[in-house]
Amino acid sequence: MKIIFQKNKFIESDYINKFSLDNKDSGAIFSFIGKVRPKNQNNNILSIDIELYEKMAQVQIKKIINKLMKKYLIDDYLVIHRYGKVKPGENIVLIVVASQHRKESFRFGEELMDWLKVKATFWKKENFANGSEWVNQKETDREFIDFSL
Amino acid sequence: MKILYFAKLKQLIGKSEETICIERKKKISQVINELKKRNDVYNFAFKETNSLQYAVNCEYVDLDTFVTDSDELAIFPPVSGG
Repeated sequence: MKIIFQKNKFIESDYINKFSLDNKDSGAIFSFIGKVRPKNQNNNILSIDIELYEKMAQVQIKKIINKLMKKYLIDDYLVIHRYGKVKPGENIVLIVVASQHRKESFRFGEELMDWLKVKATFWKKENFANGSEWVNQKETDREFIDFSL
Repeated sequence: MKILYFAKLKQLIGKSEETICIERKKKISQVINELKKRNDVYNFAFKETNSLQYAVNCEYVDLDTFVTDSDELAIFPPVSGG
């Protein structure tokens, strides 16, 4: 049960394999990887800078996880989110969840990602050849959130 | 009280944090109104306070929340991680 914020690149398979071995009694392992796209609607993206308010991100993600753990029976989770400079094709976020049956880990992982988009204190700035732009939170990011949780 | 700024707001104000002195508890909206009086930079940065988010000691709050000198207030645009 770990939440890791790191500047360095990571190889997802290393973490997923280890997580799977650590949870050998779980019947389902869910994993999600969020990556940097090479372009947005108008520009080619050279890199993105991710700013982090670490203390609050820890508090908020733990709070979300505690809520979701009351809703879904899971065995274990791992969250890795990068900050600093990240290039197209590189991973930004990894979520891995273990549970006895698939539905719990699928739903836990999906809802955790939805909440993370609107509560975890990270901000992305996209860098182009001719400037840079802060990324706005999308209306659609809030669409699937069950705020009654 | 420590105030932290993030992302575009940090860029507009030109600093990531500062400390101000609050003698008695105040609403966040009052703190911002006082900051806006400082100069055009703050006035512009806080032009649309409803589009910003606020946190006291790492918990999301609204503009009507009271803060005291020992609090850590963070002000930032809506998050965009993941």
